[in-house]
Amino acid sequence: MSTERFDSTITTTCGYCGVGCRLDAHAVAGRIASISPALDGPANRGHACVKGRFAHQFSRSRERLTAPLVREGGSFRIATWEEALDRVASGLRRIRDEHGPDAIAGLASSRATNEDCWVMQRLMRAAIGTNNIDNCSRVCHSPTSYALRRSFGMSGATGSFDDIDAAGAAIIIGANPTQAHPVVGARIKQAALRGLRLVTIDPRRIELADHAVVHLSARAGTNAAVMLGLAHVVARDGLLDRDFMDARTEGWDRVEELLEAYEPSEVERITGVPAGDLELAAHVYGEASTASIFWGLGVTEHRYGSEVVQLLANLALMTGNVGRPGSALLPLRGQNNVQGSSDIGALPDTYSGYRAVGDEATARAFEERWGVPLSREKGMTIPQMFDAAIAGDLRAMFIMGEDVAQTDPDSAHVARAMESLELLVCQDIFENETTRFADVILPASAFLEKEGTFINAERRIQHVQPAISPPGGARTDFDIITTLSRMLGHEMGLDTPADAMADIAALTPEFAGVTFERLGRRGLQWPVSPDGVDSPILFEHEFALPGGRGHFAALPYKPSNEEPDEELPLILVTGRRLEHYNAGTMTRRTRNLDLMPTDWLEIHPDDAAAAGIADGELVEVRSRVGRIEIEARLTERIEPGHVFTAFHFPEIRTNLLVGAEMDINTSCPQYKVVAVAVSPLGRPVAAAAPAVLAEA
Amino acid sequence: MRVEVDGAPVEVPEGATLLEAVRAAGARVPTLCFDERLAPFGACRVCLVGVEGQDKPVASCTTPCRDGMRIDTRDPAARRVAGAVVELVLSELPEPPAAHTELAAVARELGVGELRWTGRVHEKRHDMRHPYLALQNELCISCGRCVRICDEVQGAFALTATGRGFEANIAAGIDAGFRDSTCVSCGACADTCPTDAITELSLLALAGTTTEEAQA
Repeated sequence: MSTERFDSTITTTCGYCGVGCRLDAHAVAGRIASISPALDGPANRGHACVKGRFAHQFSRSRERLTAPLVREGGSFRIATWEEALDRVASGLRRIRDEHGPDAIAGLASSRATNEDCWVMQRLMRAAIGTNNIDNCSRVCHSPTSYALRRSFGMSGATGSFDDIDAAGAAIIIGANPTQAHPVVGARIKQAALRGLRLVTIDPRRIELADHAVVHLSARAGTNAAVMLGLAHVVARDGLLDRDFMDARTEGWDRVEELLEAYEPSEVERITGVPAGDLELAAHVYGEASTASIFWGLGVTEHRYGSEVVQLLANLALMTGNVGRPGSALLPLRGQNNVQGSSDIGALPDTYSGYRAVGDEATARAFEERWGVPLSREKGMTIPQMFDAAIAGDLRAMFIMGEDVAQTDPDSAHVARAMESLELLVCQDIFENETTRFADVILPASAFLEKEGTFINAERRIQHVQPAISPPGGARTDFDIITTLSRMLGHEMGLDTPADAMADIAALTPEFAGVTFERLGRRGLQWPVSPDGVDSPILFEHEFALPGGRGHFAALPYKPSNEEPDEELPLILVTGRRLEHYNAGTMTRRTRNLDLMPTDWLEIHPDDAAAAGIADGELVEVRSRVGRIEIEARLTERIEPGHVFTAFHFPEIRTNLLVGAEMDINTSCPQYKVVAVAVSPLGRPVAAAAPAVLAEA
Repeated sequence: MRVEVDGAPVEVPEGATLLEAVRAAGARVPTLCFDERLAPFGACRVCLVGVEGQDKPVASCTTPCRDGMRIDTRDPAARRVAGAVVELVLSELPEPPAAHTELAAVARELGVGELRWTGRVHEKRHDMRHPYLALQNELCISCGRCVRICDEVQGAFALTATGRGFEANIAAGIDAGFRDSTCVSCGACADTCPTDAITELSLLALAGTTTEEAQA
């Protein structure tokens, strides 16, 4: 696009999903006038989606927070930065002195930059003295991170999006890329049109299923059985890569034994997937000379989510489909910096590079550089923080860029936790469901207003540059947190995000060679050696586990404990829609709201008929923990027995329905399997929620 | 493979097109229906170049290089035909293209000034029902870029080429507008359009050519 019309054009990295599109942001008179895709973006190659390209008006919405707010009685009043930060610092100091550092917890954000997350975890660890730091990847891909470390030794995609073009076959499980990761969805669709042999696995018939060789509509909660069934057929029909298995893996014997039980007919009984389809799918994957696996939260957000990721890794190890072009395991990351916020150690149990907080050598290195003693005790995960707040053990939370009251499960429980805190500080760009409980609200910056880096789903560290300034008195997250740390007596000595990256690089082997200059326009895929050489493909020669071998995991299928019954006969699956993004805080303040003004519940015509529900009717959805009202729409693209909706609209409050069930290894909530009953309300759907568009 | 562009030698990989050779040599040839994201189309004849030993200019975007080929980007016949093509395209528009558009830039590059031909021009027809995308049919020059990017990059297959000859144009869906087609609002069509026949509503406002419909 010609740029003379604009005052300035800056190439930056998209702040929506984890694809990491490079965008040219064009500004006029201090506002974003337009955004166009950068032709040389490695992930997007000149393409963008309805969010990254168009949904930027939120940045100058009249509802932006532009001054600090402090609670006074039942309401908020505007305060100076000095007053607001003083209230935060003195409150944190008092609670730490009276109850110890572990009575305080912080949340970094997978929407923020690595540098923002870095200073946030340093604030908690060094200025406060606790490992109570977590980020929202807890509630999405923490099982992926856990499992990939177990199976391969590193927590990241094994390849790149370019492997889409080099793959002969691919499995897409628990993901709907054309809606949730649209640019990668488009790349997969184009590859399928050119001959990529796709297998799609999901209780919904996703758009890419129409381009697949075979679609497996597995019952929600039975992914493990599907993967074991696929492995059974691959082994039975001689599709194993024995050379690879002998040279590079261990633990096959126990898996081989385990697989005997998963005959296709048995898997059909568990999952509802016809045995013939399962066999076909196994052959599509097993016979291809290069094959990749893509997955999303439909795999992870389950009681046994992390185990299913280990089973995906099994399949790749059995067929030698890892560490080669076209043979990659690519988790589709939901947020722009889910990968990075965890890589840099905004986690309660690990420092950057996933090194345990109890590891003496690591802790000493951090202590030496930061000049303070650090805790060796694991901190709390997000769900543990909520429980501790209600129990009175956790007294203060500092939440940066996350609306836990809308997006975390069991919203009523979260609200109770927020109410229980003595001090809640929210740092965000808008008021949201969580800020209603805050004592201090600090106005921060959107991705278009700050510098730093994001890491996309292919481990690519990409530069983020400001296209416009923060509005009014809003400050960058980096500035706020480093200032607060100084007030708490820990001077970080980091003046700019580039300084923070230098701090990260000095303390993290995988980032040793990273500097903003070296990132250039194409970024670098970690690990980055000290001389700046990056790693598009992991595990080409060995895995990052002792002995260099990949680990098979002998994990049987176990039923979810959220089985439907007579009272709650349907399974609710939640997810994302093309036009909106997560809590909707940003997209609902753009004209994307015209494209999708409200949400609806997808229900199969057979289930609708059984419950007496007509298309477009208002229904009640009831689970064990909550109820919501929503419009029902009939579709045959969902497997009978399931219903689906998103969680983008606070007025619908989908997460009231989701219970406390979580992944056994990582406490990632089970958003994807909730037993519900749906019944007609006999009232018409109220006029669509007022599509208020606050344009400045 | 080695070819020569305007007398300078340049190495190109097997299968490279003349246009790629020209660009690799640091030379320039204007293009109109070309977009590096798309398969070469060869429809507009603006990227014509001369090739030694051939009597007529060839479209550089679709012609593959052969070893030892000598390419002349300044071939007078090629420039003359390309200029005439752009002049013809411009003659069908009700008003000159906005200065920032690719079409205007190509016209400037080829030195197309006063139009020698006058005749029927396209009637104004606007569809501003989409919250982001504006369709201004009278500016369409049927280069096919929007249709191709919708097919080849997004895969939405929402745009179709309609009509023939002077009536050739594009439509979203079966003339239903973006919103009632299979459009996913990715904006790729607006990004590639060289004339603003498809553009962003907000950019229309910026250019000061806001129509009343655009405000609606």
